[in-house]
Amino acid sequence: MTTPETSDSLNSETKIKSIAAGGGRITLAVHGTKAVFEDLSAAYPLKLLSPRINEPRVGVVYLLSYGGGLVAGDQVELDVVLKERSCLLVLSQGSTKVFKTRSGQRLASIRPNGTGASDDSLTTQTIRYTINSKSTLLLLPDPVTCFRSASYNQIQTFNVTPDGSFVILDWLTSGRKALDEDWAFTRYYSENEIFIGGRRWARDVMLLEGDNEDGEHLEGVVPSRRFLAEKLAPYSCYAMVLLYGREVEKIIDNLRVTFEMITVFKRREPEDLIWSFSPACNASPIGLGTGAIVRIAGTETDVVKVWLKERLRGLEEIVGPDVYRKAWR
Amino acid sequence: MDNDDEMYILLLLADSNLPTGSFVASAGLESYVAHGFLSQNSSSSIIDFVQDSLPSYAHLALPFVSDAHRIISTYANAKNSPENNQDEVDRAVKKLIGLDELYEVMTLNHVARRASKAQGIALLTLYSKGFSRPLSISSNIDEPIRLHEARLTQLLDQYKVLIRSEETPGHLPVCWGMLTGALGLTLERSQYLHLFLHARSLLSASVRLNNIGPYGSQQILLHAVRPLVATEAAKCRMLRTGELDEDKDGFNRTTHGPANTWPLGDILAARHDQQHSRIFNS
Repeated sequence: MTTPETSDSLNSETKIKSIAAGGGRITLAVHGTKAVFEDLSAAYPLKLLSPRINEPRVGVVYLLSYGGGLVAGDQVELDVVLKERSCLLVLSQGSTKVFKTRSGQRLASIRPNGTGASDDSLTTQTIRYTINSKSTLLLLPDPVTCFRSASYNQIQTFNVTPDGSFVILDWLTSGRKALDEDWAFTRYYSENEIFIGGRRWARDVMLLEGDNEDGEHLEGVVPSRRFLAEKLAPYSCYAMVLLYGREVEKIIDNLRVTFEMITVFKRREPEDLIWSFSPACNASPIGLGTGAIVRIAGTETDVVKVWLKERLRGLEEIVGPDVYRKAWR
Repeated sequence: MDNDDEMYILLLLADSNLPTGSFVASAGLESYVAHGFLSQNSSSSIIDFVQDSLPSYAHLALPFVSDAHRIISTYANAKNSPENNQDEVDRAVKKLIGLDELYEVMTLNHVARRASKAQGIALLTLYSKGFSRPLSISSNIDEPIRLHEARLTQLLDQYKVLIRSEETPGHLPVCWGMLTGALGLTLERSQYLHLFLHARSLLSASVRLNNIGPYGSQQILLHAVRPLVATEAAKCRMLRTGELDEDKDGFNRTTHGPANTWPLGDILAARHDQQHSRIFNS
């Protein structure tokens, strides 16, 4: 993804006084048919950019961090509000790179409340989304790439009205291929918790712990410890997509039908890409829209990206083909 | 409960003929095999699968086992007579439903959800039909013991009714914590046994899939699975759901809460029904 144009971005420094380091606020509203950012403010190391969009109701925002990555101890805390009938596409600038842990050094030292970060060297990104009536959140960032020895927490909370819609993509890669990094980070924790109509609808928690902790397995004990790379092989990119609501119902139906048509005959070797589709929990009360969770694993990030771009193409109807293309640049 | 009593309960629960519904579950193993993840040396591949699958299950499920067990223990230790017991029952039920619903929304794979619910209700049925005292030998039992058993039966039976009427999902880890708590097994034993049984049912599934033989399965259980179960039980012993009131202050979900740790296993398990032929339900 190239650097987005900055010409139309609001001045992200104006409200900086009221925002803690790494903090930010985004509020998108619709005036007539025009999407307007009523608030778009952020403090170092977080930066927000919004390119000019001509699509009615649609706003686009890029979440950036200075230098294109987060270093040990960085704490990003962001609040995002989608007002009625708005549609927000949230993107990142290239993959979110998480650098390695260096104890005792940190840039932004404000610790978010409630996340209970116990370690100063931990990089934490906390984002709260509020999706109001008939609004649509499309969260399509590039994957997170944790470098060797990095330790990363990502906590995203979504409060959604039953007539809202969303597509939430959360994905990560195994590291920097060029440096032979293959699942070499220390710890990756990603949590996506969704409340619809005030009721908990899903909490997806993925925890991947690397291999450089010691003292857990005694030497000489059989079987020997499995490395993270062995557990996740042959795949080097894992993605999860949560979908919900009327605006994306067609996409969900297409995914479901395509998945139901799959027949797995016994194979000798794994495929380059596998995916699964699960409908949202049956415990959901009546009156809620359709929802689903899709998981994808691929041998290469690009294989997964191509798959996602194709399967989510129905979003072009919401944001238009030009804006949709931005998500996969 | 003294050690001999507890040992006897352990022997009963470890019986592979126990009607718990685990016979039809492979917890993703059948799909793993079908998707080409078995190497030439199938015995070592099965160990790999247990090594990857067991920690993920432990990290997600044990917090629910632990908290359900704690709810039952608290309830069991309160000294009420069955006549004015309903408030206590309601309180315990409410907390159990909270756990059950959280497990439901954290298990985003429909196949795993289905298998977990089938085995959960089976455990409560086992309790009421298999572990209740037969009328023929209940007449000469001490009054305090009779009351204690009646109170636990009241709670577990009421919960079973709620599962049947779909007011709560009735997931396996929650029901396991309830069952073992009601039988008076210590939390530590309950956790350990739950992981052992999970691993053993994977091994028994691999025998029925003809990936390994029955002797090989015992060999793996004794030599490979034992340290794995011990490691995971120790590692996940202190994990909690964070849902109980006593845990709400200062609970750090990112280090002490339930989590999935093996995304590949989740994808494969969710593709179970896509297999052209299959002998298991999960």
